[in-house]
Amino acid sequence: MINTTKHDHDIVAVRPGAERLTAFNAKTFKDEVVALIDDGVTSLLIDFKDVTFLDSSGLGALAGILKKIGHRGDLVICGLNSDITQMFRICRMDRVFKIYRDVPTALQTMSEAT
Amino acid sequence: MTPVLDVILAEDNIVQRAFLARMIERLGYRIIEAEDGREALELVRTTGAQILVSDYHMPYLNGIELARAVRGLALDHYVYIILITSTELSDLSAEALEAGADDFLPKGSNQARLQARMRAASRMVSHAGELAEQHRILKEANERIQQDLKAAALAQRQLLPDLHKDILGVHIASAFVPSAVVSGDMFGCFALPDNKLCIYAVDVAGHGINASLLSVAIGHLITPEYFGKFAFDADGAPDPASLISNLNLRFCFADSDNYFTMFCAIIDVRTGDMDICQAGYPSPVCVATDGDAHFIGEGGFPVGMFPYATFENVKARFDVGGLLVICSDAAPEAEDPQGTPFGDLRLRELVARVRSADADGIPNIIINALNDWRGGKALEDDLTVLALKRTKARD
Repeated sequence: MINTTKHDHDIVAVRPGAERLTAFNAKTFKDEVVALIDDGVTSLLIDFKDVTFLDSSGLGALAGILKKIGHRGDLVICGLNSDITQMFRICRMDRVFKIYRDVPTALQTMSEAT
Repeated sequence: MTPVLDVILAEDNIVQRAFLARMIERLGYRIIEAEDGREALELVRTTGAQILVSDYHMPYLNGIELARAVRGLALDHYVYIILITSTELSDLSAEALEAGADDFLPKGSNQARLQARMRAASRMVSHAGELAEQHRILKEANERIQQDLKAAALAQRQLLPDLHKDILGVHIASAFVPSAVVSGDMFGCFALPDNKLCIYAVDVAGHGINASLLSVAIGHLITPEYFGKFAFDADGAPDPASLISNLNLRFCFADSDNYFTMFCAIIDVRTGDMDICQAGYPSPVCVATDGDAHFIGEGGFPVGMFPYATFENVKARFDVGGLLVICSDAAPEAEDPQGTPFGDLRLRELVARVRSADADGIPNIIINALNDWRGGKALEDDLTVLALKRTKARD
C-alpha cells in the first residue's frame, strides 16, 4: 500500500497510500515499512499529507515502527493535519516523534543532521 | 482403498439395462437400477449416489429432462451425469449439456469406452468429495472461532458494570455501545476508605479478540485493593499517576503493538478535590457549579507503549452540583455521512446543554446525539460514556 521516494542522503520518504490509517490497514502499513527497515533503510520520513484520519491502531503501528528503528536510525514524520496533531498532543506523541510541517522542511533538517 | 461407488442406471429396456449393469459392475461399481426417469430422479434424491448413467428415451422423464431435474435438486453433493446417446441424438447434445449432462456414451460402446467414461466420473466424484470435506472442516473451524469470539465478548461485557447508583454522594451512570462482537473498553468505579471515590476508563487500541483479552485482564487487575495499593503516595495522598506507571510497566511487552489509553480520577467527596491522570484517553468534560464547561487534563502517554513513559497527576475541582462526563474517543471521532467528525467542541457544548439532566439520563442523551450525527449508521469504534454528578456534600 505504501509509496516510497528516495531522496539524497539515503533518506526514504514514505506516503501511507491511504486516506485513513485504521485497524483495517494499520498492520499492512507497519509490515511494509518494517520491511524497508529490514532492507537497511535508516533514514525514514513518513509523509501524512494525504492522511485525514488516524485511529488508535494506526498510532500503534507508528509506535511499532519507531520501536523497530530504535537507535539504529532516524524516523521523522510530517504533514499532520489539525485533528491528527491534536491526537498526537493528547497522547504526547509530539514528545516521541520528530514532527515537521512538510517534506521540504523535514528533508532539509534531516540532511543537515547527516 | 477407494470405496465402491454407487451408480444409478436409468434405462427402461430391461435387456439393455441388465447388459449395461453387468458391464458397469465388472468395472467395480455397485448398480442401483431405475426403470424410468421418474424413478431415477427419486433414487438420486434419496440414495446419495454420485454417478447417474441414463438412457435418453424413457417414460415420464427423458434423459435430458432427468438431467435438468437432477440439477434442480438442492443436493449437497455433485451428481455426475452420463447420457447414453444414439446417432439421432447428436443434434441434442448442446441441449443435453445445457440441461446438465457431463458426458455422453454412445449406445453399444465397448467395455474400454465405458471404462474411460466411468474413470472420468470417478475422478470428478473423488475431487468433489475432497472439496466437500475441506468445506466441512473450514465451516467447523469457523463455527468454533465464532463461539470463542462470543465467549470473549461475554467475558468482557460481564466485567463492565451497568452503573446507575450513588456512591458517597456522587451519582454515577454508564453506557456502553460496542461496535463489533468483541471490544476492548473497560471501566469501573468504587469507594475507598477516607471518603475517596475512584473511577477509571480504559480503551484498548484496535478491535477484536486481542483487544478484548487485554481489556478483560485489565478489568480483573484493577480492583479497589489494587487502587488502594498503587494509587496513593507514601503519605496517603492520591497519586493516580503512580497506578498508571505501574500498569505501564506491567503491560509493556517487547514485539507487541498492544497498548491502551486510560483516564483515572480520585475524588475526595468531602472537599471536592479531584486528582486525575490522563494517559492518552480523551479529556473528560467538567461542568462547574456556575455552568462553565471545560476539558480537564493536558494529555499523557498511552499505557503499554513505551516503558520509559512518565505520567503526571493533575488537580481539578468537582464541587457539589458539578458534572463530569467521560467519553471514549468514539464520541469525538464519530463522523456524519459527509465525514465530518463530531469533534471536541460539539461534545463540550452538548455536555454543557444537558448539565441539568439526571446523571442517569446523560449517557443516553449523548449516545442519541451521536446516533443522530451519524445519520443512524452504527459507530465504528466502541463507545463508553460515564456521567458523574456530585449531588450532595458529605461531612
